[in-house]
Amino acid sequence: MTDLPVTTDDERRADRRAFVTRALRLIISVAVTLLGLITLTFFIGRLLPLDPVLAILGDNVSQEAYDRMRTQLGLDQPIWVQYWMYLTKALTLDFGMSLTSSRPVVEDIARVFPATIELATVAIFIGTFLGIPAGVLAAMYRGSIFDHMIRLFSLVIYSMPNFWLGLMGLMVFYAGLGWVAGPGRIGFVYEFSVAPGTGFLLIDTALQGNWDAFKNVFSHIILPASLLGFGAMAYISRMTRSFMTEQLSQEYIITARVKGLSWARTVWGHAFRNIAVQLATVVALSYAFLLEGAVLIETVFVWPGFGRYLTTALMAGDMNAVVGCTLVVGIIFVVINLICDLLYRVLDPRTR
Amino acid sequence: MKKTSFLRNSALTLALAATVSAPALAQTPPNALVMAWNIDAISTFDPAQIAEVVTDEIYRNACESLVDFDVADESNYVPALAESWETSEDGLTMTFHLREGLTFRDGSPATAGDLAWSMQRVVRLGFGNAATLIEYGFTAANIEQTITAPDDRTLVLTLDRPYPASLILGSIAANRVASLLDRKVVEANATGDDLGNAYLATRTECVGPYNLVRWNPGEVVMLQANETAGGSRTPGLDQILIRHVAETGSQRLLIERGDVDVARNLNAEDLADLEQNENIKIETVLKPSMFYLAMNMDHPALNDSRVRLAMRYLIDYQGLGDTVMRGVGVPRASYVQYPAVGALDLEEGQPFSLDLDKARELLTEAGYPDGFTATLLIGSHPYGSPIGQALQETAAQVGITLNMERMSNSQLFSRTRGREFETALLGFGASIPDAHMMSSRMVFNPDNAAEANLGQYPSWRSAYFDEDANARVEEAMMERDPARRIELYHALQRDQMENGPLAFIMQTMDPAALRTTITAYPRNGFRVYYDAVTK
Repeated sequence: MTDLPVTTDDERRADRRAFVTRALRLIISVAVTLLGLITLTFFIGRLLPLDPVLAILGDNVSQEAYDRMRTQLGLDQPIWVQYWMYLTKALTLDFGMSLTSSRPVVEDIARVFPATIELATVAIFIGTFLGIPAGVLAAMYRGSIFDHMIRLFSLVIYSMPNFWLGLMGLMVFYAGLGWVAGPGRIGFVYEFSVAPGTGFLLIDTALQGNWDAFKNVFSHIILPASLLGFGAMAYISRMTRSFMTEQLSQEYIITARVKGLSWARTVWGHAFRNIAVQLATVVALSYAFLLEGAVLIETVFVWPGFGRYLTTALMAGDMNAVVGCTLVVGIIFVVINLICDLLYRVLDPRTR
Repeated sequence: MKKTSFLRNSALTLALAATVSAPALAQTPPNALVMAWNIDAISTFDPAQIAEVVTDEIYRNACESLVDFDVADESNYVPALAESWETSEDGLTMTFHLREGLTFRDGSPATAGDLAWSMQRVVRLGFGNAATLIEYGFTAANIEQTITAPDDRTLVLTLDRPYPASLILGSIAANRVASLLDRKVVEANATGDDLGNAYLATRTECVGPYNLVRWNPGEVVMLQANETAGGSRTPGLDQILIRHVAETGSQRLLIERGDVDVARNLNAEDLADLEQNENIKIETVLKPSMFYLAMNMDHPALNDSRVRLAMRYLIDYQGLGDTVMRGVGVPRASYVQYPAVGALDLEEGQPFSLDLDKARELLTEAGYPDGFTATLLIGSHPYGSPIGQALQETAAQVGITLNMERMSNSQLFSRTRGREFETALLGFGASIPDAHMMSSRMVFNPDNAAEANLGQYPSWRSAYFDEDANARVEEAMMERDPARRIELYHALQRDQMENGPLAFIMQTMDPAALRTTITAYPRNGFRVYYDAVTK
């Protein structure tokens, strides 16, 4: 054990100053990113050749009703006024009314988001707890049948469209074998019996002690989450394998082995700790992609989540909803990048 | 630990982690009708604003109207909120007598005064549905004098002209504009001068056999039986659950497994396969909805009626009917949907077939022997693309170049409503089973000036204006002899098939796959009657 270096008051003050500067820089960069995102999405939304009034009122509306709705939406104002109004409202998380659901966009997002978070969280658990061991094992047993199988599996998962995999999964495990429940988040018979709570049905049913409903929710989520999880697993295991392969060729591993440390302890105790930071980033980014990229799985599995909401809004020309969703996706990436950044500092003292 | 045993143990753990339990599958509850349906078009439940078929069906099952279509014969009207009605000698006053004992959800009595207010509200708000009333002389200025309730059970409509009674019943009474809203609740929840528009967007406050208990957009609609409303319909099943399923493949799996009783958006292939399944039956009805090619007469070539007729000969009705439209539509060239009052029959309403020689002949006569070039706009209608491609190919054979542009529906609506198109494939759904409905929009054009902005008239969009045709539409509307009225509409349809700017291609069908546990599923082209469904 070595003595800790002695820090002077001046050094401590300098450290604090550096921390404040870094924090400020971070806050400013997040603010600028979000402002840029708001601006970009607003102008894309307004410049697209879509008519939000027709999206609300339909094709056969009279001119008077059309004009009234246009005024109501503020679309008769100059674009800069509209932009300013939008910006000031966005600061209070007010993205306006969804043109298709007749409710505030924020309320819609709050309703659909838990479904996606629940799906993505179960998926990332599956992806991480299968992907990391698989990647480590593949690196440990490079060139073995296991290694080839992992790579083949990743390749197969990558090259098959989610959409097709989803339908196949449903046909085999739902329609054929009857092992899992079908499309949707919960069975119809439970729709009335589960009281609204956190919005996460696994948690709500567990909290309410409604175990039949819990089992039903679990049997609904397991297939889509597994398919998404396998996608994440393919990526995580490939990255783990490559990080681990690099570590295993380092001299300290050979030294540890020569000193008599077991293979498993060398890998899990030493090499793994060194790739933990890189893996945290990989897992966090996979999670971010799962949160915004589960569109096709959500469609096939009739999952009332964020991805499907965004797609429906796009198809219907519901620009308020599209712009709100885009911002949320942007915020997710900013937040996850921020978490990664912090994780780096926690896990790797050299970056502090 | 040895390398191999470690590998084996890890593999075992992975396999265990991947194992899932096999749960028992839930069947549909015996007291509920469970449907898989694409319901993402629902945007509001305000009867003044509802404009599309899915919401229309759900709304009409939740809220009764003054009178209703006969389920077995949609051109006939039966009592609903009103138990009887009569028209004055001069044809200018219609009096409706409401049933006794109509009640709102909170148990308070529903009166003719509430109904008069509900109908006035539609005109005051001025959304698309207001046209149904405005067309017959009701305006925001005169509405308080023309729709009145002399007592709690009598509603009187004062008309500006003696329209045929059947037309008024179809247009006003059977539409969403005559549902009985709970005035005090709606007024109490109004925001500004919106007359409860925002409040009613997500709920129903009316007299009818079902209450809307939940609508999660893009997810589910739930209706609960309302035994105490006192209208003409008594609910059979307690609950109606409609789950949004957009993917036809998913709908098919759900019905095959018995997780839903009805699947409503299956494609031709799924339907053919499901016909082999002994637990499922397929039932189809014609919808009051037409798919057509709009031709803008501002285009020099399309301004010539011979060219427009030539376009009709370039549509391969038979080929399309056997392929992309199989089970989902029937070829029909008349603008009036079958079996509306005044519609030509199925044979006479479809006299065309693909005939390249005839098309060439007509083009040559019109001075376009080498054809011409035009753009063809297509939205996201499921059959738009294959029909557009088929038309593009046949048109190319006579020298006509159609440049296809695909876009979202709202963009397509925006372009066509603004007359910014040359040709476009569009759909139009009629809300009443009477030839007047389509004639008043497809043929009649009140003002052809560009600045009139009559985007809700397909005739105006195509820059089609014919004084004589306008007069004939008016004459047919006002004709009080039913037989003569039908004759006038027949003549108009024949004329439009020769000269009109809209080449009608098909009338769509509504196929549904039902589990055999459903013993009755009464419906017509307009809607399913949930209260009478049995299982």
